[in-house]
Amino acid sequence: MIEVANLSKNYGRHTAVDGISFEVSKGEIVGFLGPNGAGKTTTLRMLTGFLPPTSGAARIAGHDIFRESLDVRRHIGYMPENVPLYTDMRVREYLRFRGSLRGLKASQLRKRLGKTLDICGLTHVRRKMIKTLSKGYRQRVGLADALIHEPDLLILDEPTNGLDPNQIRAIRSLIQNLGENHTILLSTHILSEVEMTCNKVVIIDEGKVKAADTPQNLVNSMRRAGRISVELQGPREEIETKLSAVDDVTKVACQPIQDGWSRYTVFVAPNTDTRLRISAIAHNMQWPLRSLARRSGTLEEVFVELTRRD
Amino acid sequence: MRTFRILFFKELKGYFLTPFGWLIMAFAAMMQGLSLSTTLKEYSESAMPENLVFATFQSPIFWFYYLFLFPVLTMRLFSEENRSGTLEGLLTAPVKTWQVVLSKYFAAYLTFILLWIPALIHFRLFTMLNDIPPPFNNGELYGALTIVILMGSLFTAMGCLASCMTSSQIIAGIVCVGILFVHFLLGLIPYFFGDQIAAAPLFHFISSQEHLRSFSRGLVDTRPFVYYLTASGFFIFLTYHLLDYRRWKP
Repeated sequence: MIEVANLSKNYGRHTAVDGISFEVSKGEIVGFLGPNGAGKTTTLRMLTGFLPPTSGAARIAGHDIFRESLDVRRHIGYMPENVPLYTDMRVREYLRFRGSLRGLKASQLRKRLGKTLDICGLTHVRRKMIKTLSKGYRQRVGLADALIHEPDLLILDEPTNGLDPNQIRAIRSLIQNLGENHTILLSTHILSEVEMTCNKVVIIDEGKVKAADTPQNLVNSMRRAGRISVELQGPREEIETKLSAVDDVTKVACQPIQDGWSRYTVFVAPNTDTRLRISAIAHNMQWPLRSLARRSGTLEEVFVELTRRD
Repeated sequence: MRTFRILFFKELKGYFLTPFGWLIMAFAAMMQGLSLSTTLKEYSESAMPENLVFATFQSPIFWFYYLFLFPVLTMRLFSEENRSGTLEGLLTAPVKTWQVVLSKYFAAYLTFILLWIPALIHFRLFTMLNDIPPPFNNGELYGALTIVILMGSLFTAMGCLASCMTSSQIIAGIVCVGILFVHFLLGLIPYFFGDQIAAAPLFHFISSQEHLRSFSRGLVDTRPFVYYLTASGFFIFLTYHLLDYRRWKP
């Protein structure tokens, strides 16, 4: 659906996007991650034809984004950052305008309008002026605007920016539902959102792609992933030496809690499982054990790992 | 063409489904009435050598409100979209840049043309309510309205360009007034420097004041048509490229 090859964008001397390449196939929900100023919005603007690339090329649905910009734009529904809307229009009027601009004929438009209002939960505010709507509703109007012409590809720039947790949840489930028959590229820096909704992640930083994979693979390949936390009661030094002696264990750290319990953090080599061996040791030595868990890494750790600047 | 029509009506609605267009219309009607009534007062006090239309459009109040209409009509066209970011949504929809530019230009221009309906009614009323023969004839009236509307095509295009330059409505308005004022002053140059200077014919050619004088005497000349239509085309062309600039700038 999207093929990006060596896409670059310079603003004067500043390079915002520096030769990025990635692919999105049909039906995927792809999270586009990066810290502030990483070049997310610039990339999306280039894909939607609002800004021209300085060099490189990209194709959407087989059309070149620069030479066949109009064909590309027919295939996408784009929700820009901060959701700019004509605030002195009414919701239905606005969506009707945007739908007809995308080439929907009157009968199609009527059908799509009712459906889109329904999907986005806007039916009861359809007669309201956009300027009287809250941020959450405006965000939904922006989403409805991107959806009205049933595009193959949805490009959403920070769709949940500035919403309260309930609204984020609502938008997230909306995106998940849409993902069933649309390809979605969404940029965000809320990682939990990506973990829950996306089946592929592209992380960029300083204009370069740092990683592109499924969230699960990214987490698995992280070196911090191998970390086990054990809560035991017993003589501290003996426990530490015993645990350190286990194969694959690289380091043991102890943190006393209460009533003689201590939490040991056991660092192990990646892609190994030492939990059974640890529980066997505890059993043999008759140390009471109340918790043994492998801390799986989170996408947040992957993100920090890839984009930190120290 | 369909896209152009959709955009055009959207812009037109922006003028007439909000109080904005009606306020300008009320302002224009009031100023047109004021210049007519002050001229009529002069007529009642002394004998006037010129026809009523000529005298009305020569009253000093005319240029004051006339040049004021364009920044008000055009300043928000592009700058507001730029400021609020709706330009991004507009230009990522499958529309061509020229459709956006022309739809905005023609919506503003049509609104401007409609502002002259009150002036037409004022002069018609004058003949309807009096049994004395009107102190002007139809040629003079329609000649004056023609040139006023013709000048409007260029001045609206100048306003569009000014609005496209910035994301602030106020600055767009000020720039528009600036351009219009320079154009107005260029037309006055033969007045101040006489016809001896080599470029005098050029300044006569672009002098809106002279065009207005001859047209409101009923002398319809084709040269101003060429001048205003080509010059508006040029300013629309500049606006188009300024808007499209982000697409090819390095």
